[in-house]
Amino acid sequence: MTQDSERVSSLRELPRAIEPPRDLWPQIEANLNAIQAAAPPAPGAMIPLRRNGARLRWLAAAAMVACVAVGVWIGRSILPGSAPLTARQTPTQTNSVTGSGTLAGDRATAADVAYVSDPRYQRQRAALLRSLQAQLASMPPETRDKVTSSLAAIEKAKADLEQALGKDPGNALLQELLVNTYQDEMRVLTDVHESSNTGKGI
Amino acid sequence: MRNAYHLSAALLMLIASAAVSASDRDYDRTVAAQPHGVVDISNVAGRVEVRGWDRAEVSVHGELEEGVERVDVSSEGGRTIIKVVLPHNSGRHGEAQLKVQIPKGSELDVSAVSADVATSGVQGMQRLSAVSGDVSAELYGGDLELKTVSGDVHLKGHGQPAKLHVSTVSGDMHLEHGAGDLEAGTVSGTLVATLDTARSVRVRSTSGDLRFDGRLAHGASFDASTVSGDLNVRASADGGFAFEVSSFSGDITNCFGVKAERTSQYGPGSVLQGTRGEGAGHVRLKTMSGDVQLCDRT
Repeated sequence: MTQDSERVSSLRELPRAIEPPRDLWPQIEANLNAIQAAAPPAPGAMIPLRRNGARLRWLAAAAMVACVAVGVWIGRSILPGSAPLTARQTPTQTNSVTGSGTLAGDRATAADVAYVSDPRYQRQRAALLRSLQAQLASMPPETRDKVTSSLAAIEKAKADLEQALGKDPGNALLQELLVNTYQDEMRVLTDVHESSNTGKGI
Repeated sequence: MRNAYHLSAALLMLIASAAVSASDRDYDRTVAAQPHGVVDISNVAGRVEVRGWDRAEVSVHGELEEGVERVDVSSEGGRTIIKVVLPHNSGRHGEAQLKVQIPKGSELDVSAVSADVATSGVQGMQRLSAVSGDVSAELYGGDLELKTVSGDVHLKGHGQPAKLHVSTVSGDMHLEHGAGDLEAGTVSGTLVATLDTARSVRVRSTSGDLRFDGRLAHGASFDASTVSGDLNVRASADGGFAFEVSSFSGDITNCFGVKAERTSQYGPGSVLQGTRGEGAGHVRLKTMSGDVQLCDRT
């Protein structure tokens, strides 16, 4: 718990702006003037501007990608409840479980892909999903219905969170809850797997 | 007429003998055990009732249905193992009702499938797991690790601090007079807890509702989150607490007269921040669409 107090728990705790250590504008202005001075006059005057515009657009795109990467990194590494992702906890692609308990197959989304990282985890999760149907079949009907319903609740939560993140990609709260949900899904799959082994040794 | 009488008598005898063969068999055994040893109990179906006592021995009383082959009890090197054995490849799960008394300082490990589990008077660490069976336990200072899939959980504490780690998939969880550190998770179950003095609380659910009423120790940390479940927290703390409540689309209400602020001018999202007392502790509540209510403990 003491570690939590040292962690950044909200984006609001981060500074809104960081001032550079020195005034950068004089050097930027000098470089711009040098580019303009090197360019041919009137007929080609638009070309450097176009090149600069394209360059700025590339820079803007790169900045956006960097922002998304930082957001994902914050969601996975810094926010509470998103402990370092391990083979057991790392979220990955979603498999939907329908209300009747049948697997609807892999359905990777952009948000899922952003969180995929650990191949060991992916292998483990795939193995758990492969054995899920057999484990569900071995359960009493009432338990099976409850587990199926819970897995469906997780699927819905993931879908809702991903939909909300689609509208607000930088939302740290949604990112944290999505990571939690991935972890919870893995916990349920592991618990169901372990529960099917409980009676075997008896 | 006489033949009919004889036939009826024979039928009655047949039914009676069938009933006897299907009836419960009793099992009793007592073995010596260490006061702070380990007791392992496993049972697929039926019930496991464990009680702590002052004697340095383990006593087992079982009522076994036909589908149960036997009960194995062994005690060696401070570890007592009680195992309900089912016939191999029978496909039938007979029930065994076990009543077990163990030294109260024992470490207890119970594994069940559909069997209900109930413990009382056990002061050592308890590791309890069941699939669909309900689990109830009495808590003293010993730590608890409890896991169920669909079984409900009922925990009764005595205000003695311990580390409590509980997880269910769809089972509901009720905790009375918990203390110490609580870490709990459920997907769709409801979690209701009253805490006497908590140092650390970390709980979360996907769609289940979470309700807490409790006192937090000085500098305690309380973190709860749900996706769509509602969160209702009534807390008081030595030294007060700072709180931060965030919800993407749920309603945030409180009894402090503080107004939740929108996090975005155009989109959804609201946050409630403030401090009670000195703000020594931390309360963080988060939901996506669940409603949140935070109040002082009455």
